[in-house]
Amino acid sequence: MLVPALAVAHNISGANARFVEGLEGSAVVPFMYLGAKHMVTGYDHLLYLLGVVFFLRRLREVLLYVTLFTLGHSITLMAGVLLELNVNAYLVDTIIGLSVAYKAFENINGFKQVLGWQLNARAAVFIFGLCHGLGLATKVQGLSLSADSLVTNMLSFNVGVEIGQALALGLIVLVLTQWRQRISFEKHAFIANTLLMGAGFVLAGYQFAGYLWQ
Amino acid sequence: MKKSTSTSLENKTGRSKVLLATLAALVAAILILTAFILPAEFNRDPLGIGEALGIKGLSEQPSVETVAIEETKYHQDTVSFQLLPFEFVEYKYPLAQGSAVIYSWTATDTVSFDFHGEPENGPEGFAESFSLGQGEHEHGTFTAPFNGIHGWFWENRGASTVTVTLTTAGFYTESLKFRDGFVGTRSFE
Repeated sequence: MLVPALAVAHNISGANARFVEGLEGSAVVPFMYLGAKHMVTGYDHLLYLLGVVFFLRRLREVLLYVTLFTLGHSITLMAGVLLELNVNAYLVDTIIGLSVAYKAFENINGFKQVLGWQLNARAAVFIFGLCHGLGLATKVQGLSLSADSLVTNMLSFNVGVEIGQALALGLIVLVLTQWRQRISFEKHAFIANTLLMGAGFVLAGYQFAGYLWQ
Repeated sequence: MKKSTSTSLENKTGRSKVLLATLAALVAAILILTAFILPAEFNRDPLGIGEALGIKGLSEQPSVETVAIEETKYHQDTVSFQLLPFEFVEYKYPLAQGSAVIYSWTATDTVSFDFHGEPENGPEGFAESFSLGQGEHEHGTFTAPFNGIHGWFWENRGASTVTVTLTTAGFYTESLKFRDGFVGTRSFE
C-alpha cells in the first residue's frame, strides 16, 4: 500500500485511496471531496489557521491573510504534483507542526520580546502556506493518479481544499468573534496561544518520530 | 492599509513571561510525546511510562503479509465432538504470529461459539475473541495476530445432543483439546 501509517501522517485513508486509485480518467467530485475532507479533518492545518486569525478582528484582514495562505499552498501543491517533487511527508508535516508553534509564538509577541525582530506576519503566512502546500502535494502523490487527468484531479483536490478551508474558517472566525467580546479575552489569549504552541510542538514531534521510525 | 488593531499581544507580555510560556509549552510537549505518543504510536518507551500505563504498543499492527513462508508442510485435521445439552469443549492450536489456518466447522444444531486466542505471555485467563456468536457453521481463514494458542470454544445450550465437526489445514504442529477438565494433546509431526 502506498499510504503508510494511517494514523500518523494524516493521510488519505486506505479505503479512500483504493477508491480513487481505481478510478480512470478525471474524477472531479471524488477529488474535491478528498481535498475538503483533508482540510476539515486536518488538525494541523486547522490549528495553524486558528493561530493566523486569532487576532484578526477585521474581515478584510482575515481575507488578506487567508488569501496569502491559499496562494502559498496552491503554488506548492501544483508544483509538487506536476514537477513530481519527492518530499518526505513526515518531514513536511513536522514543519507544518512547527508552523503552528511559530504562529502561536508570534501571537504572544515572542519574536519581538525575545529576538527584538520578527518576520513580517504576511510574509510568514505566505511562506508557511508554501510548506502546507508541499504537505498537500505529498498527500495527492500518495494516490497513484492516472497521468491523463492528473491536472484535472489535482485542481479538483485544490478546490476541495479551499472549500474545506472556508468551512472550517467560518466556524473558527465565528467562535473567535464571540470570544473577543469578553473582557477576559486578552488574558485567556495568552494561555490559549501557549497551549497552541504546545500543540504545535507535539504535532512536530509526532511527525518527526514518524519520520524516524515508520 | 493603515496599521490596524494589534495582530498579537503587543506590549502586553514581558520577555520573561514569553520565555516561561515557551518553556512550559516545550516541556509539556516533550512530556506528552515521551509518555504517551511514542509508546502508544511507535512502541518506543524512553521513560517506561508507556509500559506502566499499559499503552505501549497500542497501535502495533499485526504484521499481515500477503505471503508468509513457512519451513514445514502444512497439516490437516478433522475432529468431531458430541456435545450433550450444556456440554462444552475447546479445541485449539498453538500458532506463531502470522501463521495461517483455513477452517470450516459445522454443527448438527445451533451452538454458541467463541473463536479466540490467548497470547503466549499474556495475563492469566486473558483471551482475545476473533469471532463469537451462535450458529451452525463458520468457514474462514485465520492469520494468528500474535504468538499463542488459538482456537474454538463450542457450547451446546440446546436440549438435544449436537455434533460439531471441525476441519482445518494450517501450520500447526499440535492441537489441544480441553474437555471435562482434561487436556488432550495431539501431535501432527
